[in-house]
Amino acid sequence: MMADLGYLGVLASLVTSAYVTAAALAGARRGHASLVIGARRGVVAIALLLTLASAILVGSFIARDFSLKYVAENTNLSTPLAYRISGFWGSMDGSLLLWAWILSLYSAAVVLINRERHRRLMPYAIAVLMGVLAFFLLLLSSVSNPFARLPFPPSDGRYLNPLLEDPGMFIHPPVLYLGYVGITVPFAFAIAALITGEVGEAWTKSTRRWALASWYFLGMGLTIGGWWAYRVLGWGGYWGWDPVENSAFMPWLVMTAYLHSVMVQERRGMLSVWNLGLIIVAFGLSIFGTFLTRSGVVSSVHSFARSSIGPVFVIFLAVAMTGALGLLLARMNRLREHNYLESLLSREASFLFNNVVLTAAAATVFLGTTFPLLYEALKGVKIFIGPPYYNQVFVPIALLTLLVMGIGTHIPWGQESPGHLGRRLQVAALIALLGGVLLVVVGIRKPAALSGFVLSLFVAAITLNEFARGTAARRRLGEGVSRATVSLLRTNPQRYGGYIVHLGVLLMVVGITASSAFSRQVEMGLAPGEEAQIGRYRLTLKSVVPYRDSTRAGRAARIAVSNAGHPLGELRPAQALHLASRQPVTLVGLRSTLRDDLYIIFSGVIDGKARLRVLLNPLVFWIWVGAGVLTLGTLVAVLPERRRLVPERP
Amino acid sequence: MSGPPRSLWLLVLVLVAGAAWVLSPERAASQTIDERVREVAGRLMCPVCEGQTVAESNAELAEQMRALIRDRLQQGQTAEEIIAYFVSRYGESILAAPPRRGLSLIVWIGPFAALALAAAIAVATLRRWTRASPGSPAGVPRP
Repeated sequence: MMADLGYLGVLASLVTSAYVTAAALAGARRGHASLVIGARRGVVAIALLLTLASAILVGSFIARDFSLKYVAENTNLSTPLAYRISGFWGSMDGSLLLWAWILSLYSAAVVLINRERHRRLMPYAIAVLMGVLAFFLLLLSSVSNPFARLPFPPSDGRYLNPLLEDPGMFIHPPVLYLGYVGITVPFAFAIAALITGEVGEAWTKSTRRWALASWYFLGMGLTIGGWWAYRVLGWGGYWGWDPVENSAFMPWLVMTAYLHSVMVQERRGMLSVWNLGLIIVAFGLSIFGTFLTRSGVVSSVHSFARSSIGPVFVIFLAVAMTGALGLLLARMNRLREHNYLESLLSREASFLFNNVVLTAAAATVFLGTTFPLLYEALKGVKIFIGPPYYNQVFVPIALLTLLVMGIGTHIPWGQESPGHLGRRLQVAALIALLGGVLLVVVGIRKPAALSGFVLSLFVAAITLNEFARGTAARRRLGEGVSRATVSLLRTNPQRYGGYIVHLGVLLMVVGITASSAFSRQVEMGLAPGEEAQIGRYRLTLKSVVPYRDSTRAGRAARIAVSNAGHPLGELRPAQALHLASRQPVTLVGLRSTLRDDLYIIFSGVIDGKARLRVLLNPLVFWIWVGAGVLTLGTLVAVLPERRRLVPERP
Repeated sequence: MSGPPRSLWLLVLVLVAGAAWVLSPERAASQTIDERVREVAGRLMCPVCEGQTVAESNAELAEQMRALIRDRLQQGQTAEEIIAYFVSRYGESILAAPPRRGLSLIVWIGPFAALALAAAIAVATLRRWTRASPGSPAGVPRP
């Protein structure tokens, strides 16, 4: 009964979204304000309807209503309450409902925030938002209806995947979706800007925070996914260049490019065509990513979420991209802007180079992700494009991005003389050089890793120098260090928030570089009482004991860890069977410190010896710290700008 | 130009010292057998897994393959010989990255070609813009 109400909610939303799209377009064309007001109300109504539908689906999961096919396929009687709730987005139908629900909430927020603003843009933006939503609602009401009933309800449900029973399941998918879906808002405004011809500041200004938020959520969703995989999947890493990971990474890269190039538009009124193009591509990639995750066309660790809705997505993607890019081309002539630069050596130019490297990085990931599909279609052979490829092709481009990030930070708007820039860069270059020499002396010889560290040091020095200069100006006015820093952030949150984000990215780069270049892996068989050494850690197998928790049972290896005779406690990696699904699961033994992670995988006992794979991954912790710093920087960057007390130095 | 404050130097010193402390010199030594096994295994996809390399997988087959790689390395075979052996048994779909020939050459050259092309276009565009006349209606040069 309740479930039928949920389905009714989806159907009503579909009808309303179709009406809203038509009404908003008609209202804008004919200037009927009442139609537009009706459309706005419709948007809010859809948000309420889909909230209700989502609540009903969650309720059905909590109540274990196995008469619903989707519930029966994603939970069973042994599923704890928490994971019944997250079963909502456990596979495709619910994930699509989550997509639609988030989009409806975003759309309602857009409508409420812009009640009095952008009278020309808004109707078209509403039409685009609701048009996209209508596509998802069409899927939800037909081929992937989460409220579909089973003719004969089973007494117990099926278990999908034990790996999804993890706290990561609560954060990773919703956060990632907040990012994916969020790109629709700037996209809608971009299309509205193209239709109305108002391609100036209005659309970029009103969507700056939306773009920043979706960029942030995408990046954070990826990081949380990596953290989850690292702890739970038990293969020793956090990133595998998996097609599904890649498909969220691509829009992130393009949005990163956009967030930089849009500053040129805001400051100089240039690059508007380019920015519109970037947003359109980012939206296309977000739909492509959703499609790739949900279609199962690629082999991936995420392939629990397979289905046959692929073709529908491809058609939607093709229509949306042809329409949007076609519109951009058709308006190209009207978008001729007066472009003028004082110098090739300017912040404007450096942002352009930033865009060159970031879009090349995105293109590389796109090529690596999609090429196997093309190859299979042409040659009938499956190939993989995995980590060795990206290490050789993506890493050099990423290093180049770091270089541009560093130099660009020190180049002011307008123009800069090479001599002055050289003098400004020399301190950072000296620091980087010194650091490089030191690293070589201590034995860091791998070229890629060495370059990664040296460039990170270079960019860090430059970024911190910007802070030092900024606060110095205020301290001369008599402010203390902390007050000077706070007022620096308050008067120019966008710029200095951005620099904090850069510092967070650098920490992540250092953590990723160290843990991928200097990770050590040793495989061993230990009998009880035997010892082994890895790095500074001495491991002693005490015994192999039965393992049991509420959902899994198996065996665990009790391993005493010590460092130079000091006992550091015990790790208990386990090999277990998930009872409800009969699937094997690996429980990693992990000791994480600021310096390195001791990571132990226990795979069973052969000839009385416990088989262990032991990894020592340096500096992994700093990846998570970097994500925290990045969060802080993003929060600063969305702060409203306070009136300047001190004129900004160029 | 004003020099950086002393605190910055201190921070850099701490960073460098920290990096030196973390990445101790023993790692400069020539590759151990474990590292070589991992490197070769990282170039092969685990045939029974979804998107994992032989180096990462906990599958029994992957473990056996790692043991085989270790044996062969210890017998003096090169990484290329071992890879060739696995390709002869499983076909090229076992490779974690496609070979640099034929159609697959596209993925190896494409990104760098695209990067060079994009950079050339950017430079050409910027040059055109610097030659244009100032007096942009929308331009707000500086605050």
